[in-house]
Amino acid sequence: MNEPHQGEFCITSENDIVMARKVVRDAATALGFGITDVTRIVTAASELTRNIYHYAKSGVMHWRSLNQDARVGLELTFEDSGPGIVDLEKAMEMGFSTGKGLGMGLPGVKRLMDELVIESTVGKGTTVVVRKWLKK
Amino acid sequence: MALESISVIKLRDLLLVTVPPDPDDETISALQERVLQAMALYEARGLVLDISTVQTLDSFFARTVAETVQMVGLMGGRTVLAGMCASVAVTATQLGLTVGNALTALDVDRALDLLNAAPSGARCV
Ligand SMILES: Nc1ncnc2c1ncn2[C@@H]1O[C@H](COP(=O)(O)OP(=O)(O)OP(=O)(O)O)[C@@H](O)[C@H]1O
Ligand SMILES: [Mg+2]
Repeated sequence: MNEPHQGEFCITSENDIVMARKVVRDAATALGFGITDVTRIVTAASELTRNIYHYAKSGVMHWRSLNQDARVGLELTFEDSGPGIVDLEKAMEMGFSTGKGLGMGLPGVKRLMDELVIESTVGKGTTVVVRKWLKK
Repeated sequence: MALESISVIKLRDLLLVTVPPDPDDETISALQERVLQAMALYEARGLVLDISTVQTLDSFFARTVAETVQMVGLMGGRTVLAGMCASVAVTATQLGLTVGNALTALDVDRALDLLNAAPSGARCV
């Protein structure tokens, strides 16, 4: 488990939400995450992939294993060149949605993962990075 | 392919629907439609959604289930979610998801017991 594992996955269709879940499930399981953390990570990936599909139409998910200060983790990056998010603070609020969603995706992902960083520029696109660390 | 993986089984006046392990959005929407059709067709008074093999319950899934529970309720039926595994329950709660007014049970057997023990309001004696 010392060499870094990584990969990427293109999101272009609705079916890719299911495929992304499979990719992330395999990566998280291989790193040694337990079933509950695997479920948390996969569910977060499902939300972020669906956001890309719904709001940006297409994008890419990168995943890589992390090995820092004897800590092992998984990092997922979701990148798109969609419309961007006008008000990031609002978007992180529970219940805020510009679509017909419940506005639970982003705030939920934040609770499910250990770290979350969002960068977004209107008209340019959005990048969401999430990390989960393996508990020893 | 996806649509075939949903089975709606009629058990007396109840419906049993087994949700596949990793359904896509289309399958989940189709499931809702088939459930509502079957509720009307068989005049069922209850629905058991077997989610024991489901590995990921995200916001779309939860929203559609909650909606289905509400629609089934308007048609006079009650819904029991059966067999949610622990990791999914933990994740769904942390994500902030709720599944509306569904009853829950550990497994399908207990779900059927629950519906049989608690007939819908009109049949209360
Ligand atoms: N990749 C993205 N590109 C552009 N806008 C986005 C993106 N992701 C999220 N948003 C914006 O942020 C809002 C909040 O997203 P969030 O996932 O929390 O809720 P939702 O998708 O609206 O509903 P839910 O996820 O509960 O179905 C969205 O309504 C959308 O306006
Ligand atoms: Mg969302």
